[in-house]
Amino acid sequence: MIRQAFAVFYKDLSSELRTRYAINALLMFVVVTLAVIMFSLVGETLSPGALTGMLWVVMFFAAMSGLSRSFVAEEERGTTMTLQLLATPMAVYLGKLIFNLVLVMALNLFIIALFLLTMDQFIVQQYGLFWLIMLLGSLGMASATTIIAAIIAKANTKGTLFPVLSFPVLLPLLMAGINATKIAVDDRAWTAVWPDLQLLGSYIVVITTVSFLLFDFVWKD
Amino acid sequence: MWWKILLFIWIAALSVIGIVTPIAGDLGSVAMFAQMDKAKTIPVKFTVVNKGRAATEEEGGGWLLLGRDAQGREADFHFSVRPADLDNAKGYLAVARYDKTEHRVEVEKILGGYPSFSFPLIPGLEERAKIIFFHVPMAWMTVIAFLVSMWYGIRYLRKKDMDDDFRSAISAGLGLLFCILGTTTGSLWAKFNWGSFWNWDPRETSIFVLLLVYGAYFALRSAIEIEEKKATLSAVYSIIAAATVPFFIFIMPRIMPGLHPGSADDSNAGPVMSSGGMDASMRVILYSMLVGYIVLYSWLMNIQMRIHRIKLKRAETVA
Repeated sequence: MIRQAFAVFYKDLSSELRTRYAINALLMFVVVTLAVIMFSLVGETLSPGALTGMLWVVMFFAAMSGLSRSFVAEEERGTTMTLQLLATPMAVYLGKLIFNLVLVMALNLFIIALFLLTMDQFIVQQYGLFWLIMLLGSLGMASATTIIAAIIAKANTKGTLFPVLSFPVLLPLLMAGINATKIAVDDRAWTAVWPDLQLLGSYIVVITTVSFLLFDFVWKD
Repeated sequence: MWWKILLFIWIAALSVIGIVTPIAGDLGSVAMFAQMDKAKTIPVKFTVVNKGRAATEEEGGGWLLLGRDAQGREADFHFSVRPADLDNAKGYLAVARYDKTEHRVEVEKILGGYPSFSFPLIPGLEERAKIIFFHVPMAWMTVIAFLVSMWYGIRYLRKKDMDDDFRSAISAGLGLLFCILGTTTGSLWAKFNWGSFWNWDPRETSIFVLLLVYGAYFALRSAIEIEEKKATLSAVYSIIAAATVPFFIFIMPRIMPGLHPGSADDSNAGPVMSSGGMDASMRVILYSMLVGYIVLYSWLMNIQMRIHRIKLKRAETVA
């Protein structure tokens, strides 16, 4: 199953690298969003806490515009049936999850790098903690959105439905993530962030387990 | 038929009792308010121990009598004139405040005779405490309807019976209705008690998330045309949402500081929420109201289900 999963992942990755459909659009999306934020903030002094909120807003909407791609593309190209025949549902889910994970991590890395370069008021005090939270946040985003993407791929209004369905499910992650990042940006003690880290960890476990159990129903026609 | 009339009477009677029953404090609450705000008057109920006497010029004139509150504590009550029905009055419900310099309770206005049934006065809530009979059952029904919807969703995934999917959908519809009612009543109340319509208290966040989940559920349902697909995917979505919703409803409001009773920093609202703290009569009315709401919900479910069956039958006969 693991081999099948990696085969699905490799297929998605190579088809993505061949067309660069999602990557190009996403990179432009991030650049445009950051540009809008920078235009609107010229001459303003914002606290690192407020900028943390903006960083998460950019990350959330970038994920919303890119992560549904892997399943929607299968429906649009009409390759769903073939994939259903060739791979077990578990393998498909795992492969798509890994692909989304790689995509969202690359995306977030790009966003954070640009954010740190362009926003001089955004100073992170505790880098170790900051990267740990970003890693957990990316993991959580990928695991929650993969199953939602599988659901909306079967619906008519795919693009608008994705953020609508994802937001209530992602909200615990966003709240804990924003709170934890604020602590990492500030110079506060590690112990203050511990409840949020626990929450992020358990969120990832719960949502991945539920997705594994339910993916069969979504995938099989 | 009879039980529908009974249900109507049950809910109407409980609503009337909940609204009409007076709020009455005792001497303890009078003394407590005297500490905070001298001019603030509150409703107090007390029995007349003796008929008293006319107050002297030095005492400010009027009438003085000895009264006893429900806890058995006694104090002097001062009226500006002798109450007309004093000779055959058992006691009074009156608006009063405590005068520290004179060591007596100043009665501003008599509201009526001694009420045999009243709710205790909760500092900071007073008459506004009565929302508990309406708002709390609505909020509970929102969660119950959501859980029922998820339960039928799971049943659909196991048995593939379209009836279960329809039950899931109508339960979500009723849950959305209760959710909107609960949010509106709570929001209006918050304006008068907390000063603004929305404060992002943890419990307000939780009802907002439920509202979003219900909205997303129906957005998803309307976006899929094939019936079986719609049923499966909406069931799956309600289960995924149910994995995160308990965090907002059961955990976050209890571990985070907030305005609702039962929050982490809640020191004085214990009387409302903690199991032993709420007044017994209020608790009985609240739970009876909840029972009424649950029956109402089941009845609405049943009506919707019958309408659905009739529609199916008509569609068959036409085809």
